[in-house]
Amino acid sequence: MKKFNIAIVGLGGQGIITMGTVMKNAALNSDLQDVSGSERRGGAQREGYVETFVKYIFYENAAEMNNPRKNMHSPMIESGGANALISLEPLETLRGIKYLNKNSIVIFNKTPYIPISVRMGKTKYPEISFIVSELQKVTKHIYYYDIDAISLEEFNSLTQKNIIALGILFAKADIPIERSAVESVLAEGKGAENNLKAFALGLNL
Amino acid sequence: MAKSNLFVNGSEGDKAIVLGNEAIARGALEAGIGYASMYPGTPASEIIAVLDKNKKCIENLYTEFSLNEHISLHGAIGASWSGIRSLCAMKNVGLNVASEPAQFLAYTGVKAGLVLAIGSDPGAPSSSNEQDDRWYSLHTYMPIMEPSNIQEAKDFTKDAFDVSEEFSFGIVLMAPSRLCHNAGVLRFGDIRDRKNIKGNFKKDPENYLNLFSLAVKNHAKYLERNELLKKYLIESKFNKIINEGQSKIGFISSGVIYAHLMEAFDILGVYDHKILKLGFSFPISNELIKRFFEGLEKVVVVEEAEGFLEFQIKKIAYETGFKGNIYGKEFFSKTGEITLDDVIFGVSRFLEKPLPASFDFASKKYKELSDKLPQRSGTFCIGCPHRATFYSILKAVGFSNTEEKERDVVIAGDIGCYTLGLLPPYNAMDFLTCMNAGLSIGQAISNFDKNKKVIALVGDSTFYHSGIPVLLNAVQNGADILYIILDNSWTAMTGHQKTPSTQKDIDGKPSANVLNLKDLVKSLGVSYVKSLDPNSVKRFSAQIKSALKEPGVKVLIAKRECILQEIRRNKSLFKNDAKVAETGESLYEIQKSRCVKCSECFVELACPAIILKKDEDNGGDYYYIDPASCVKCGVCYEICPNSAIRKVEFDLKSEFKLKKGLPEAIV
Repeated sequence: MKKFNIAIVGLGGQGIITMGTVMKNAALNSDLQDVSGSERRGGAQREGYVETFVKYIFYENAAEMNNPRKNMHSPMIESGGANALISLEPLETLRGIKYLNKNSIVIFNKTPYIPISVRMGKTKYPEISFIVSELQKVTKHIYYYDIDAISLEEFNSLTQKNIIALGILFAKADIPIERSAVESVLAEGKGAENNLKAFALGLNL
Repeated sequence: MAKSNLFVNGSEGDKAIVLGNEAIARGALEAGIGYASMYPGTPASEIIAVLDKNKKCIENLYTEFSLNEHISLHGAIGASWSGIRSLCAMKNVGLNVASEPAQFLAYTGVKAGLVLAIGSDPGAPSSSNEQDDRWYSLHTYMPIMEPSNIQEAKDFTKDAFDVSEEFSFGIVLMAPSRLCHNAGVLRFGDIRDRKNIKGNFKKDPENYLNLFSLAVKNHAKYLERNELLKKYLIESKFNKIINEGQSKIGFISSGVIYAHLMEAFDILGVYDHKILKLGFSFPISNELIKRFFEGLEKVVVVEEAEGFLEFQIKKIAYETGFKGNIYGKEFFSKTGEITLDDVIFGVSRFLEKPLPASFDFASKKYKELSDKLPQRSGTFCIGCPHRATFYSILKAVGFSNTEEKERDVVIAGDIGCYTLGLLPPYNAMDFLTCMNAGLSIGQAISNFDKNKKVIALVGDSTFYHSGIPVLLNAVQNGADILYIILDNSWTAMTGHQKTPSTQKDIDGKPSANVLNLKDLVKSLGVSYVKSLDPNSVKRFSAQIKSALKEPGVKVLIAKRECILQEIRRNKSLFKNDAKVAETGESLYEIQKSRCVKCSECFVELACPAIILKKDEDNGGDYYYIDPASCVKCGVCYEICPNSAIRKVEFDLKSEFKLKKGLPEAIV
């Protein structure tokens, strides 16, 4: 059995759950495969912390898939258990540090969204350099971009930033599913033209 | 769900990515339900929402978003007695409201299968408590099934209807938010033929009439049925003993925690202990547990909350004479969500097995960092009318977010989107418990503390849920209180289900039976009732101020539709009507030269569309309205004390040309 875990974090309203749904739908072609992963929704509302997990499970054979000791999986990712972390907000990348190990790939958007506590002058927002240096203490595979700016420039909207980030993921990490599978999911969904463009844009960053 | 019609048309051999809640709904559909209802509540809302959304393509299906859980469960009982398989869903605290029908269901029994799907919320990410509804079954006798993953969510629900009919119990299907909101692969089964779903109520006084000696008789009957069910559960496919190796240690678990447990074993490299997976966590057969205990010296129960399984297992251990030790809550917290990490920690401690290095490093690293990171809490959406309501209330009572002074007005909170007003920067609630606690607790406070004015808040959906008798009670008993109904026309927080206030659907279609809330309030005997637009903050604030001076029950209706719904509707109209696209637009901007950074918009109103920007010229910061997120509600424009915010009208069409940089002649 092989597993591949992706943690996606960010804020309510950034399209985090959509990213998880796209990645899960891209992995429906094999029978010896399971996909799972829970989401945090509800009370988070706008600007609250949201996370979603994508867990791919690949069984060696049918016997393994039917073995009750092997075929039941938690919807969560354990500390240090993510092969990749995508974060659409810099501060939240640090909250997602719990999922990282030394081989994890980290992709994050460096546009900050200032929490209320900072707005009220009660706490300070960490510098990007601090965020990067903390992440580097765990893994060397860190990639960050101003994805908000890229999305605004290309699409005159922030809506595509999540799909751009998925493109970057495929460019930087060895994901055990086909790019074309993601593209066909995007092609069937809403706003297909822009999403395919955004995915390609991310792939080339 | 991507290929949404698989939900309706899928059959054996099909698979799709679905949400746990949708899997429950699909299970019910495969079992041939004809009735589905709920009062919306996170994390359970999608269970009925997905059926409601698709009902046009499903033959003979009635769906209902009931006004509250009490009504909803009674509806499911009525359908069941008419021979219709019925599904009722609610969140954990919903069962408090529906506890009365639940209490009687064991007495009367069901006719067609009835399943009550409950979304529990450990860790309370979207609830006001962590209530474990399983304890109810100690007196309602409703059997409880706990699926562990998406596939079981569907399969168990489907099977639950058969068990319900065989033993004449309503079956509780428990799913915590981790399962409700788990999305993954579901393999479909076939759907029962739907042509013959037809009601036929047959009188059954022996079962349906509960009073005096008839009730006592029915009490005995359900205790007997409970014993029969226990016997059935010894060999059923729902409870599994996994038995390999010669270990003297056994683990008992159920639901999603069982899934965590199996993954924790894999992560810790532990494969040799005996495991009992309980698909039914109530009732539990002594015989089954006795079989599991054989050869064991130590048993640990792995579960969430306060130990419902442990409580039962220890009782059975006593009754069956088990000599070993039983553990549980010594290793797994009674409070908060039990995460995969918590199970890994607990199992490692119980088995004295070291943690994997990367797990240990990551969890320590996170602990070290987490206290240093600024907390982030959710807030109202940009343009949400609730933000304006809270701003108006705080201004009316002379309070500022930035000054450290006590408010002398008591603000009673309630349940809905507006509950977020208790968070910073507004801190505008003094207590919050359950639905419609605000006015009733507030009424008593105003009675006993004459020095403070009391304002009670409620949303439209919450008011209709159970607020009407509360308001009537305040009127009848001569309360002195200001009641503000935040009427945004939708049950917004749970995904926008309709309320009696909903005027227009999202596609622009007017609702059939819109209620006039102001008239309703008047008819309850309130003479001081006014309906206002909360976004007109100055007017609204002045109105609150003068209402507080009046004696008796005063009602202000803050009437403005949820901004998300308004935008969604406009978008679809925009798409269909090219003319709308050509009309002018307005834009709000802060003029740097006039803004003195007084914080009125940035901290007091705290609209997230207003952000801090670095000034390239002098290295300082300035306030800036982000045009990509501003929805042009205009509240900041109204409140700016220095008139630094201006409204710019422009023509969308010419702006578009401008952006493309093309001279008009060429276009």
